[in-house]
Amino acid sequence: MIITKKKDFQELYENIKGYKSFFLLGCSECATLCGTGGEPELKEMKEALESLGREVTGTFVAKTGCQVLGTKVELKPFKEAIDKAECIIVLSCGAGTQTAVELYEDKPVYPANDSMFLGNMTRLQMFDERCSLCGKCILDKTGGICPLTTCPKGLLHGPCGGMKDGHCEVSPELQCAWVRIYERMKRLNKLDELRNLMMEPKEWSQSQKPRRQYEKKEKTKK
Amino acid sequence: MTFREKLESGKFVITAEAGPPKGTDISEMVHHIELLRGKVDAINITDNQSAVMRMNSLSGCVICLQYGVEPVLQMTCRDRNRIGLQSDLLGAYALGIRNVLCMTGDHVSAGDHKDAKPVYDIESVGLLRVVSGLNEGKDMMGNALKGKTDFFIGAVVTPEANPLEPQLMKFEKKIKAGARFFQTQAVYDMERLKEFMRFARQYPVKIIAGLVVLKSAGMANFLNTNVPGIRVPQELIDELKAAGKEKALDTGLNITARHIRQIYEEKICDGVHIMAIGMEDKVPVILERAGLI
Repeated sequence: MIITKKKDFQELYENIKGYKSFFLLGCSECATLCGTGGEPELKEMKEALESLGREVTGTFVAKTGCQVLGTKVELKPFKEAIDKAECIIVLSCGAGTQTAVELYEDKPVYPANDSMFLGNMTRLQMFDERCSLCGKCILDKTGGICPLTTCPKGLLHGPCGGMKDGHCEVSPELQCAWVRIYERMKRLNKLDELRNLMMEPKEWSQSQKPRRQYEKKEKTKK
Repeated sequence: MTFREKLESGKFVITAEAGPPKGTDISEMVHHIELLRGKVDAINITDNQSAVMRMNSLSGCVICLQYGVEPVLQMTCRDRNRIGLQSDLLGAYALGIRNVLCMTGDHVSAGDHKDAKPVYDIESVGLLRVVSGLNEGKDMMGNALKGKTDFFIGAVVTPEANPLEPQLMKFEKKIKAGARFFQTQAVYDMERLKEFMRFARQYPVKIIAGLVVLKSAGMANFLNTNVPGIRVPQELIDELKAAGKEKALDTGLNITARHIRQIYEEKICDGVHIMAIGMEDKVPVILERAGLI
């Protein structure tokens, strides 16, 4: 899921202090799991704004805020509340915020959160980055552990000189990604595979921005 | 005889290190180069060591050449992408630099520009392959070069890494990628160094033992606790302690000289690399005590 964290309220307030009325939009997916854009956070935001003398014309938690058409349909019943608001605040990730920007061309839209990374939730609201969405998966070669993401240097051939007793020099609380890969390959009896592995230089062209995936449409065209 | 010719013909080499200045005043670096001239076979010029921004290594190498000492260009992958690295390598060769030491490089979080974007477009093994390609007249994409390089390609290895096996696998990959000589992380335990060398001697590469002078027992303990891949044995710490504060540095110099002598006499490695870290002026004394000059 996309991991988000709340912006400092004061930072948000600097952006929106000129407006009197707001519509608040959350998301039931990642932002709800992160505790940054579900019902409780919308309520909290509403109260904070009202305590500053502002009006909240309505709130809504979208099913999937990054789904533009679905969100558009879901928001139809809120037309009046949204029209009445001078500004929309989005409590989800940057993708959700930009859905609102696309749907409401004439209205200012501000993000309440910072979007951080694609994360695995290991425990309640504890998230680790394990995949960087690099566009060309190498997990088939590295025992299912991504060194590009879990090693701060993205090393492809083994630990650096900074590895200390199996831990990372940059983040000493973390195990070295390459020691983890080594241990796993050893457990799977695949050390020879690891020993012979020469990785090709990463194809960064695969993650050139902005990325698009239109495969279905292109197929239909053909 | 060049550094490469000496190593390849089986002669014992001595290398040291000089860091370019943070600024444009090169007087201190030049002083260190002049101090070492005629006493060492080559000087490594560091590449924004510890991720602290300084004058670049390439310029440092050219200055080193101007003052009559053969440089080893340290190249890290932290600050340049594959285009920048290759382009600097071509320039380095055209300017007379013949030895290159390929490393991934300390992370920016260790340095003085912590908000910098770490590049790591490729890493040490990838860079070794790139330099091998340039030596064959091809860039990374296989495009032909007008005039190829003929670098003597080096890499680094940590014989005291724990766990060791992943490090040894990487050492093998570096050899496959084209490394012909290695400089090691600082070593202090000669018996363990011999053990590493029994493994390394399977391969047709030259190994230069890295040595860092111990200034005190406190420094030795600091290295053990804080610096990955360095292990100072207790008996050396005891020796430094017994020497007392005033004689600790002198004892440290003796230890380094003794190790050099042993590595040389017993032919444990093919040379030594002295990382003086602020004590460049002591290198001649160490070499004298080791009986090598």
